[in-house]
Amino acid sequence: MPMTVQPLLCAALAAVLLAAPTALALDAAEMKKLLEIIDDRQRNGGDYKSLAYLEQKEKDKADTVREALVYRRDADDKLMILFSKPKGEAGKGYLRLDKNLWSYDPNVGKWERRTERERIAGTDSRRADFDESRLAEEYEPTYEGEEALGKFKVHKLSLQARSGIDVAYPVIKLWVDTATSNILKRQEFALSGRLMRTLYYPKWQKLFSESKSAEVWYPQEIRIYDEVEKANSTVILIKSVDLRALEANIFTKAWLESKSR
Amino acid sequence: MTTLLLLLEVAFRNLFKSWVNLIIGGIIFFATFLVVTGGALLDSIDSSMSRSIVGSLAGHLQVYSDKSKDELSLFGGMSGEPDVAAIDSFTPIKQALEKHPNVQTVVPMGSNGALISSGNTVDLTLARLRDLYRKNADEGETPERRAQIDSLKAHVRRLGELLQADMQKRSALLREESQDPAEVEALERVRTDAFWADFDKEPFASLEFLENRLAPQAADGDLLYIRYVGTDLESFQKSFDRMQIVDGQPVPPGKRGMLLSKFFYEESLKLKTARRLDLLKEAHEGGRLIAEDPQLQRWVSENRTQTREIIFQLDPIKAQQATERLQRVLGSQEKELSKLLSTFLDVNDGNLAARYEQFYAQLVPLLDLYRIRLGDTLTITAFTRTGYVQNVNVPIYGTYQFNGLEKSPLAGSVNLMDLVSFRELYGYLTEDKRAEIAQLQAKSGLAEVKRENAEDALFGEEAPSTLVAEATPGLINENEQIQSEGAALRKEDLLKRVYSKREVEDGMVLSAALILKDPSKLESTLAELQQSPEVQDAKLRVVSWQKAVGLIGQFVLLMKMVLWGIIVILFVVVLAIINNAVMMATLQRVREVGTMRAIGAQRTFILSMILLETVVLGMVFGGAGAGLGSGLISYLGHVGIPAVSEELYFFFSGPRLLPFLSLGNFITAFLLVVGVSIFSTLYPAFLATRVSPVTAMQTDE
Repeated sequence: MPMTVQPLLCAALAAVLLAAPTALALDAAEMKKLLEIIDDRQRNGGDYKSLAYLEQKEKDKADTVREALVYRRDADDKLMILFSKPKGEAGKGYLRLDKNLWSYDPNVGKWERRTERERIAGTDSRRADFDESRLAEEYEPTYEGEEALGKFKVHKLSLQARSGIDVAYPVIKLWVDTATSNILKRQEFALSGRLMRTLYYPKWQKLFSESKSAEVWYPQEIRIYDEVEKANSTVILIKSVDLRALEANIFTKAWLESKSR
Repeated sequence: MTTLLLLLEVAFRNLFKSWVNLIIGGIIFFATFLVVTGGALLDSIDSSMSRSIVGSLAGHLQVYSDKSKDELSLFGGMSGEPDVAAIDSFTPIKQALEKHPNVQTVVPMGSNGALISSGNTVDLTLARLRDLYRKNADEGETPERRAQIDSLKAHVRRLGELLQADMQKRSALLREESQDPAEVEALERVRTDAFWADFDKEPFASLEFLENRLAPQAADGDLLYIRYVGTDLESFQKSFDRMQIVDGQPVPPGKRGMLLSKFFYEESLKLKTARRLDLLKEAHEGGRLIAEDPQLQRWVSENRTQTREIIFQLDPIKAQQATERLQRVLGSQEKELSKLLSTFLDVNDGNLAARYEQFYAQLVPLLDLYRIRLGDTLTITAFTRTGYVQNVNVPIYGTYQFNGLEKSPLAGSVNLMDLVSFRELYGYLTEDKRAEIAQLQAKSGLAEVKRENAEDALFGEEAPSTLVAEATPGLINENEQIQSEGAALRKEDLLKRVYSKREVEDGMVLSAALILKDPSKLESTLAELQQSPEVQDAKLRVVSWQKAVGLIGQFVLLMKMVLWGIIVILFVVVLAIINNAVMMATLQRVREVGTMRAIGAQRTFILSMILLETVVLGMVFGGAGAGLGSGLISYLGHVGIPAVSEELYFFFSGPRLLPFLSLGNFITAFLLVVGVSIFSTLYPAFLATRVSPVTAMQTDE
């Protein structure tokens, strides 16, 4: 008997020793670093403006499509979404100021305060999908292992929202490409543990920014699948990005109102 | 004739002779009583409900698209609004239906539900202030507007102080770190004179500070669900006789506007304290006592503790006035308004009437009694069928009620809206819009990726192996992107615009109500319209009012089925009992029958004798049952049956049901009793005729 146990033990030990260098398990510091890279790449030192296309599919309904201008001033944590098409939606918009997410409709001339969970314009997208990435600041990561996503090798991370921070989903899971450190897949969970949304980021683009003196990265395409209403899905397509400075007073209610006068 | 008299004499003589007859009589008595009273009650409910429904919303018949997934349900379905397909234009339908000689009017309709969202008191006050500053910027300042601005600013400052007091109370209970320093700082800043002195230097920046930092700290905003029926209001008012304007005025012809249901207005939009006081007074007048009734005690306690709603509404001057008035009424020296209110609203059976009077006379003039005043514009937010969220401003002209249904929550949930606003909120996808969407979609160049194989399609072998690409910097000019329709200008114009009858009728509807010239021909008109080639070509469904109102309409039918079920079972039992009893009686009377036969009585005589006895039994006890039933119904028809619950209001079509007796019920009861009596006696009577005198004599020995 001892004759058979010993080689097995040796084999197991060898396996552990041999496997250790190849496993890419990230420690806490590395994970934090990874999230910071993801955040930092998407951040611009100056202003950011993009033209986005949103398409929403729902069961038994005609598709809805919109075009929107997304404005960001990352240094001040400011965000504005202004819808431009179709005609009926033109002039509607969202404005994030401090902890408030305001929604405006020029047809009625009213501002309303919305929550983090607001479905932007009734689609499956949320404010955070358009905003600056703040993963390192908002979440605490844990490592779940290395996986394959299609033909790509990915790190799987589980992120728990830090206390006192209001986010749409308290738990998220990320699949990050080991080669490029880009997020390829994201799943978001409610506090109860229920899966709410699955997002895919199949295309990333980068662009040199004068104000940042570095490249700014952005997901050109985000595909969002609603996990509660399984038939619903949204695609966000960033058609172009403009990194020139914006007007100083652009992130105000008065500016958004003026666009539909 | 003499034979008949003789037989009748025998029948009456035997009537009370046997206890078996008494039991049979009792059962017959009960069954007829049930047929007469139950039938009369259900007929009365049926008729009053039909009056209510026909005269309030449904008309005699309703027409809607045959492509609809659900059946029409005017008072709402089990799971919200039914899915009824839109009819592109009302005009051709109206023309087709009006051709029928019995159709008097066709009224266009559509029902839907949406949300009214309102911010909290601080949000609302700031929104009013923002409006005034906007007007100042556009039109220049007037002394009147300046006075309004100053009053609102003082109000906001007071709200800031109230919020700070709340925070101090909270901080005594909570740990230091759970307080947001930004919130604390904002409250401090709003207290300073410097903030208010500099306010007008940059009013919009000051407003944004308050909107973003102060307003989120108050938490009394809420969402309200509103159900509405869009219709041609002019034609509706003429066609539905039960509708009556309570306050305000009708929507002027061709204009956008809404009439809120009085029930909804009171229940959902009134100051909650005032509403609870109304309910307390009503209950008290109905004989309920606060001292004994837990529900009334709960209302008093809610009024006593929930004084913020009132306090937040008052600017400093009004708050001072309210304090003085309450001090006077209560003879108190207390300076804190919330404590005064709490004491004042702590009513009991003794002071309720006086406090109610005082509340309306002293406090209400200082308050907004309703969240939306008549003449205000209400913003309604609907999630349209096409997926786009639609906000529409609708002016409120007045409140209305359906007479007889004032207290019914079902009828009271229906608010009336002009068709143009209804269509906007419904978000009907016109050809133009459809084309615009298709064009945008084509331009995007996106391919659909199904959820099932998303990972494979996006990251599998087929996917590109590089995930990152260099982008070319874009130059985005928003002014080129936005094709504004001049929304702000349009918003003002829309409310002033008068739509022609043609514009109102020449558009989408969900259904149409038909008022008939002769309602007694409802069934035949329904059948004729269903067969009409025009209705079939237009792919329409025609239904009676009973079907159109969904479950409620089926309620009376269901009750009738239950009653008849009971009656049938009862009569089967009666049949068996009578049959058995007469059988026993006949066996006991073999000697009597034999003797009769021996002295020359014919078989038909014996048969008639036994049958007549049962008929007499049925008629005497049945007659008594029917008589008592009719007596009860005519008494109730006089005093009425009170609708004890609000749901009953709907079925009774008012506060009381006045049942009436129809000849039909009486005849049905009579025929049933006689029929069942004869049928159940046939076999025993037949057996009796078979008794031969000889056997009868022998049996006796």
